[in-house]
Amino acid sequence: MDGRETASNKRGVMGWLNPRHYNLERWAYVFQRVTGVGILMYVLGHIGDTSFFVGGPFGSGPDPGTWALDLSFTENLVGHLILATTVVIVVFHGLNGLRLIMAEYGIIFQKPSKIEYPYQAKGLRGLQKHMIWAAIVLAIVAGLWAGGILFG
Amino acid sequence: MDTLLRVQRFEPTVDRAPKTQEYSVPFRDGMTVLDAILYVKDYVDHSLAVRFSCRQASCGSCGMKINGVPRLACYTQVADVGGREVTVSPMDNFPIVRDLVTDLTGFFEKHKEVIPHVVRRDSAEMESPTSDYLMKPEDLERILQFTYCIKCGLCTSSCPTVATDSLYPGPQALAQAYRYTMDVRDEGGAERFKVLDSAHGVFRCHYAGSCSAVCPKGVDPALGIQLLKRHVMSAKPPRGPGEGARTSKP
Repeated sequence: MDGRETASNKRGVMGWLNPRHYNLERWAYVFQRVTGVGILMYVLGHIGDTSFFVGGPFGSGPDPGTWALDLSFTENLVGHLILATTVVIVVFHGLNGLRLIMAEYGIIFQKPSKIEYPYQAKGLRGLQKHMIWAAIVLAIVAGLWAGGILFG
Repeated sequence: MDTLLRVQRFEPTVDRAPKTQEYSVPFRDGMTVLDAILYVKDYVDHSLAVRFSCRQASCGSCGMKINGVPRLACYTQVADVGGREVTVSPMDNFPIVRDLVTDLTGFFEKHKEVIPHVVRRDSAEMESPTSDYLMKPEDLERILQFTYCIKCGLCTSSCPTVATDSLYPGPQALAQAYRYTMDVRDEGGAERFKVLDSAHGVFRCHYAGSCSAVCPKGVDPALGIQLLKRHVMSAKPPRGPGEGARTSKP
């Protein structure tokens, strides 16, 4: 800028997390990131949790008592809600992940072609959009199914 | 009826933080956001900084956030964004020069990084052409929409990857990389792939698609980038010397 001072206007992580005013794919992007972090936390907790059963987190040998105590934390309303939510986010993350893999291989898009006003981006239409809605619906169904088992 | 125009004001050399200033603008049918801003500049506050030129969505100068969405001010009617209240602020992810004016220098550098022109190896033919470089209509159709880019920066402003990765070329540059890589006359794929197939290259796009949603010219960078990923992953060596389009007599 030839010596002129400017101020940064980078959004940073907030740029990832704020889909307001944007398209469905942007919302799916945010949920994919958030659910990814959620799944990672669940997996880490799960590994720590089960380690009590198989050999102890510090190699001190199996500890069925701590394992049973850990399990008891999930056997209440909040624990069941967390588990049911985990099912929802795992199903959404997995199905939406399939959509993203298919997008990266370019197999869910039509070929670029002549465009006419009003412009409708092909990259935001068609099969990939149906796949987002399918991921949302199936995640909710799976969550209800899991809730039925947990609360039933 | 008047329109309440809220403008983010910021002079980096003076102000510590941006502030919002409100102006009342007489509403008229067909009035664009740029018209409203220029009314303020002409009759209310001459110090308001805004960049514009063609007023017809051709030059890409007047990109800004309008009610939270990156848009061209000359291409957005006040009535279409509520009419009564309009909030304008500079585009995200670009350094602010002053008020609504952003610095596009880095943006154009990224554009240049992807070698946005047809590259040919036959320098003798280029110096002393004996025929035209022809392409079939279907080959043109494959890249035509990507040639409509006016480099307004709206896609880059909306991109969540650009928000955190300064080395990422951004949707505008990548869409142009697709446009030239897929051009049957081009032989510059190998050089372009050094940028595209890197740690900060095309695979940093996670398909949020907002670039395509905000593009005022129908360029659809998200589509181009996904197809570019396929091209990079296809493991086909980029076109090299002598593998581009044939030349033929006009």
